[in-house]
Formats: sequence, structure tokens, C-alpha cells
Amino acid sequence: MKTQIVNLIAFFVATSLTGIAQAELKWEQTQIELHPAPGDATAVGSFKYKNTGGAVVHFKSVTTSCGCTTAARKKDDVAPGETGEITATFKVGASTGTQQKTVRVETDDPASPVTILTLRAMIPQMLELRPSFVYWENSEPPKPKTILAKAAKELHANNLKVTSSSGEFVASVSSIGQNQFKIEVQPHDTSHPVSATLTVQPDSGGKPVYATARVVNPPSTQ
Amino acid sequence: MKTSQVKSWIVGLLRLLVAATFLYAGVIKVTNPIRFSRDINNYHVLPWSVAVALAFYLPWLEIICGVALLLRRFYYGAVAILLILISLFIIASVSAKLRGIDVSCGCFGGPSRNLNFATHLALDAALLVAIAALWLIGRRMRLERA
Amino acid sequence: MRRGGPIREGLVLLCLAFLPALGETIYWRNQMSWSHPPVQDEITVAQARSLGGSILWVDARPAEEFAAGHIPGALLLNAEQWDSLLPVMLNAWIPGQKIIVYCGKQSCGASREVARRLRDEANLANVFVLEGGWEAWEESKK
Repeated sequence: MKTQIVNLIAFFVATSLTGIAQAELKWEQTQIELHPAPGDATAVGSFKYKNTGGAVVHFKSVTTSCGCTTAARKKDDVAPGETGEITATFKVGASTGTQQKTVRVETDDPASPVTILTLRAMIPQMLELRPSFVYWENSEPPKPKTILAKAAKELHANNLKVTSSSGEFVASVSSIGQNQFKIEVQPHDTSHPVSATLTVQPDSGGKPVYATARVVNPPSTQ
Repeated sequence: MKTSQVKSWIVGLLRLLVAATFLYAGVIKVTNPIRFSRDINNYHVLPWSVAVALAFYLPWLEIICGVALLLRRFYYGAVAILLILISLFIIASVSAKLRGIDVSCGCFGGPSRNLNFATHLALDAALLVAIAALWLIGRRMRLERA
Repeated sequence: MRRGGPIREGLVLLCLAFLPALGETIYWRNQMSWSHPPVQDEITVAQARSLGGSILWVDARPAEEFAAGHIPGALLLNAEQWDSLLPVMLNAWIPGQKIIVYCGKQSCGASREVARRLRDEANLANVFVLEGGWEAWEESKK
């Protein structure tokens, strides 16, 4: 039994040797979830840290995964015992749903040279079109196709206004209850290729959303 | 007397190596069952639901057998299971290769993706030999003692 | 010392492994489907080249990076200018054409996100993500 315990200890010591040195920079959290309000242009998360070690920690680089995210550090060197934060700003733009962005922090701390901070933003969608693209193939009869529009409750939309950028398509809206609308799109004819952008605007105001309608020429090879 | 001492040292070392390997392989897969079930699915032998079940079960079996080896409890049971597991894995890899499927990923999850097939097979074969040695030498030593 | 043969020992271990496995199954129950594998839509440069047929390349990187260089024939489509770029892309697409989305560094999930939106929102089929992205494409030319 004794040798077993010794063996076990030896194993764990051997496998954890590299991890034994304590990280000097302690992060309060490395993952943040944000819930920006509808219409917010940016979502900001701040990752707080504290230098719990005995030496100065120097930030070598702070980089973000995408162009739509920026990260800022207030200082390059963190003295022992000092606290601070790295703020990550995510530009909402026309993004929807759950967006996950990462910030890569590189320090001269030998115990953990690289830390990945994760920013998750849940962006509410005020008005959602499914699908946002309808098309008719050249030979297809010009029957109407349906786009379902789901509005958020906070939008208080009673109706939607749909305008087509081209007179070749007509669109009609009908409410089907529970903040949902049915948009029927129909081309006048499908004998020639044509396309239009449909602008869908809630009557209660707010940002419009777009759909594309198109009559497609079949590929010449077919 | 001396040779048996050397033998027991070798067995001890092999035991730790095999245990560490399977603990590592188990832990790395436990954390990502989605990836592992994809890897199993990539062999195109089992239906998806079986792949998922195996992805939840196999890593824990590896971990528990690894622990059993370390603690020398249920020792030969663990050696037998690992022997079967590694044999099945080798058979699956070879059969996949013969069917022209790329199985660069598998037993060790992410880190082994960069190894080529030959290296992979060599590693697996080494592991097979080590486990078989544990079984054979251990049994023979027991016979000698008896 | 000996409690049972290897077979009995093995059976005990097999059963022991069930317990944590069951726990993990419950823990992951909402994140994994038992009936069908998750969408496997990654495609390598070599696979893309061997696809044949016509491919619509979609560049999910920021406009500046697209301007600095892109896969020949690729169209720009990113989240920042989604509303204005999507119609352009949809109007260029031919029914049946495969769409391959790529982005910059491997760590950047932009191509995955664009592919998801093309599938979910625009209802397009045959949307793939290029493994390794732009860097892998550049690498393959060497």
C-alpha cells in the first residue's frame, strides 16, 4: 500500500511539474457574457486582473480575433499587488445572435504567457426575416413565396411596411398574431432575370431589415 | 535474483508509462465528447448514436483503467481491458486506412492530428507491446513466485 | 491479495466507468444530439479544389483585408456591412452553386458565423467553411 501511495505521488509530481509555478496575474474572470440592449452600437466587457505575484508583469501584446472587436489596456506594466482591467469593445453593427470574440493577452509571466479572454455578446434581434432570400428559377411559375417576419415584443409593431426596390415584385403583409407577420412576395413574371431588395420597416419605427428577391437565369450549362 | 529485480523495475516503469498514457488520452477526450464522437464517426463503422455513447464511455474507461494500473488494484482486469482497447483501435485505424479514410485524428484528440499514419501506428504498436509485456511478464513472475 | 480473475476484475472496471460516463451524459444532454451528427461543414483547400463545378467564394474578413488581397472571384460579406453586401452576394449566386466562406486567422470565427447566417437566414444549402482560411489558401499556392 505504501509503495502505491509513493507511486501515485511520484506520478502527480511528475505530470504537474510544469504547472507548479503559480500564475502571477490572476484574472477575476476570463469569460464575460454581455446582453446589449436593442439598438446598442457597442457592447463592452471589462476583464479585471490582479498581480498576486512578487514581480512586475509586463503585457507584451493584446490582440483581438476580429476587426469588429477592439481591446484596450490602461497600462503596460502591472506592479505586484496592483489591479487593473482590459476592456474589450465589440461593435454590434448588423451582427445578430450570439457573437463570440476572443482577446489574446500575452505577458512576460512565465507561468502563463498567454491568456485567452472570451467575450460573448447576445445580440437581440428586433425584427427577424426567415428566409431573408427568396428566388424563382427561370422556368418556375410566378407563384408567391412567403417570408416569415418575427418582431420582438418591445418593438410594439402592429404592422410592417414592405417596399420593393423594383416594380417587378409585389409584396403583401399580413399579421398572423404573436408579433409575427407573413410577407408574400411575387414576381410579375419569371421570363427574365431580375432582382430587388425588399425593405421591411416596422410601423412603430426602428431600424429596417432587408430581404432579397430574385428571378434567376438557369446556368447556361444546363 | 538480480534478473527478477530488473524485471520488476521494467514492469514498474512500463506500468507507469501505460497508466500515464491512458490517463492523458482519457482526460483529453473527456473534456470534449463532441469532438471525440466526431472522430469515432469519422471511421464510418458505427451509427452516430453509438459513437456518442462511446464518446461518453470510453474516455472514462481509459481513466479508470489508468488509475487501476497506478494503484495496482484490479490490475489484470485493467491490463486486459487496455489490451482489448488498443487492439480494437489498431484494427479500426488500419481498416479505415485501407478504406481510404483519413483518420489522422483519434486516440489522443487534438495533439495527435499532426502525426502521420505511420507514426501513429508505431505509437499504437509500442503501446500494444508494452501492455502485452505487462500481462505476460507479470503473469510469469507470479508463476515463478508460486 | 488476489480477489478474482482478470475477467471478473475487468467487469468491475467496465461497470465503474459507467458511473462518471452517465454523469457526463447528463451534463452534456442539451449540447449534443443523439440522432444526428453536428453539421460538418469544414472543407480544406485541397477538397475545395477537387470539388469541381462552380464555387462562389465568400470573404468574411474586414473590407481592408479583402482589398489587400482575396481569392480570385471572391465576394466580400462580413457582419459589419451585412445589409449592403448580402444582396450583392445573393445576386451573384447561381442556384446549385456551392458557397465556401473563408476568413483570416484560424482563431477568427467570422467565416463560421457568416456560413451559419447564410444557412439559417438566407436558407441556402451547400455552404462550407474553408479550413485554415485565407492563410491556408495562400500557403497552398506556394
